[in-house]
Amino acid sequence: MKGILLARIREFIRNPFTFLLFTGMSIVFAWVISSLNVGEGGGGIPVPVYVEDGASDYQQSLEEQEAFRFYEVDKEALQEELREGDADTGVILSVDRFDILVGVESPNAGLIQQTVQEVYTTDMREALIREAADAEGMEADQVVSSYQEAASEGTFDLSVHSFSGEESWQYDDNVHRVGGFALFFAIYTIAYGVVKILTEKRMGVWDRMILSPIKKSEMYIANLFYSFIEGYLQIIIIFSFFYFWRGITFNDRMIEILLMLIPYALAIVAMSILITALVKNVEQFNAAISIITVSLAMIGGAFWPLEIVSNPVLLFLANLNPIKYGLDIIQGAAVYGYSFTELLLPISILTLMTVLFTGLGIHLMERRHI
Amino acid sequence: MLELVDISKHFKKIEAVKALNMFIEQGEIVGLLGPNGAGKSTAISILSTLIEPTQGDVRFLKKSVIKKPSPLRKAIGVVPQEIALYPQLSAEENLLFFGRIYRLKGSTLKQRVNEILEQIGLTEKRKALVESFSGGMKRRLNIGVAMLHSPQILIMDEPTVGIDPQSRSYILETVKRLNKENQMTVVYTSHYMEEVDYLCDRIYIMDQGNLIASGTKEEIKQILSSENTISIQADHWSEAFIARLKDHESVTNVHVEEKEITLITPKEVNLFSEIISMTDKYDISLRSLHVKSPTLEDVFLHLTGRALRD
Repeated sequence: MKGILLARIREFIRNPFTFLLFTGMSIVFAWVISSLNVGEGGGGIPVPVYVEDGASDYQQSLEEQEAFRFYEVDKEALQEELREGDADTGVILSVDRFDILVGVESPNAGLIQQTVQEVYTTDMREALIREAADAEGMEADQVVSSYQEAASEGTFDLSVHSFSGEESWQYDDNVHRVGGFALFFAIYTIAYGVVKILTEKRMGVWDRMILSPIKKSEMYIANLFYSFIEGYLQIIIIFSFFYFWRGITFNDRMIEILLMLIPYALAIVAMSILITALVKNVEQFNAAISIITVSLAMIGGAFWPLEIVSNPVLLFLANLNPIKYGLDIIQGAAVYGYSFTELLLPISILTLMTVLFTGLGIHLMERRHI
Repeated sequence: MLELVDISKHFKKIEAVKALNMFIEQGEIVGLLGPNGAGKSTAISILSTLIEPTQGDVRFLKKSVIKKPSPLRKAIGVVPQEIALYPQLSAEENLLFFGRIYRLKGSTLKQRVNEILEQIGLTEKRKALVESFSGGMKRRLNIGVAMLHSPQILIMDEPTVGIDPQSRSYILETVKRLNKENQMTVVYTSHYMEEVDYLCDRIYIMDQGNLIASGTKEEIKQILSSENTISIQADHWSEAFIARLKDHESVTNVHVEEKEITLITPKEVNLFSEIISMTDKYDISLRSLHVKSPTLEDVFLHLTGRALRD
């Protein structure tokens, strides 16, 4: 077994191209698509703002908003951007009023107006509180700060529950993109590792090993273990890249998430061995894996959240899909803050898939003398 | 030492090997000759316990090895028809890998790898990747891997397919040397009659899953002792001339190639003058006409009516 692992590692060192390609592609896809969604430099939809004298406090308040990225420009630049279509909507901030300039009709205009309005209203409300506090001889800052505290706590307690099919759901685009693409491309890396069994059988290397004192179980375990390590390492690299270089924290549970994804990588190894057992040659495998992987990714929610899918057939198929459970683990831990116990369901289903697919795959492979 | 007893093998509706009986004695080189699709590789796979026969038994030192193959597996080294090597590893790394698989370790493994590299003439190329090797070098390494654990019996399935004459000759010499110096028993399959003729003490000839002849080279050639093999050479043939030969009552077999026709006729019949007059009649410019000593190819032609490479 050690010998087989050493040979595979040496082969990997000589030709890491497939691994690097799929790792690179998942990083690039997650990064590029994520950047496309959030606009230049991240931080929300960009909105140019012209700030008149004395209105800079409003600009500072607007910069703290998360949904839009308000950036200051001069008046001509603002008009130019709207005219050229570089921005849909612009804002002119004055001391006691604001103007919303709409270049092209956009659903964002209303939201931008609401956001700016809220900043002005809050400011006016605080000014009134100050005036009243001064009139009453109270400490104005203290009163305003008490008001802000009370406002931030809200009047009612609001709790949102969603994981599988509840009415509302939470979504973190960055976590979903990284998770989706990492799980998607890991399938290719693992599958191309497992298919080496088929290649070695065709080459006669497998027969040579059968005739040697090494046990068949060792041959399977060594090959499958290596494929698992390669795929899992890829997932670790992708997550680490986005954690360290892009600041995606995964709710400070990255290591936990990675550990909980072990059953996912094992399930993909098992699925790959089943596919390998069903095809006749490497060409058929290549065709099958391309179709199956993309279908799994689409049905399992790697490219878009499953919560937006309403078709019952697709939702049923998603329940048979390892990607769905992998994403459940990632979203559950990073977005919903679920504990390990609460994530035992997807982990158990992935483990069950591993056992079923491995048993069936190896049985078929041996029976068909592939 | 090693026997196949009434072996048959079916793959769905195809009967690849039919009631095959073979025995191999220690220290001999046994050839298994036949055209492509004759069932040689299936026979070799059964002999090396890689596949189970549908019927019959495989015996090693008089004990059946179908259900308990390990004693035979320890004793054999198999050279498959395919290049069963890792192309992205070097020659040395391949040998080390397969050595480890055979539980060789440390200095024993290193020493054995060095010996094998020396025997197959690849010491200079030990660090080169297999993917950069020529066909002949790959074939040599393919043989070397099978010899790593010093097997008693070397089973070689068409080890010279697709290589240059120089490498082919090197391989044949290596096999001969292994047999002489190490008393290694060799089972050698090929569809090249001249290889089997050169190497083997005894020969089994297979065609379409059947064993059609067996014995020493001399015994097999004796099959043609009462017949002559006549070779006619010319630049071109006419259909009528060939048809006339095939219809001739004294001709048992006719094999036509581009510039040569081989006939098998009874020894007591002299067809020379008749053939010459036929070439005149059909306007064929004869280049030569002679009686050949029988070869294994002729025996195969006699037994099956086809040439080995048809």
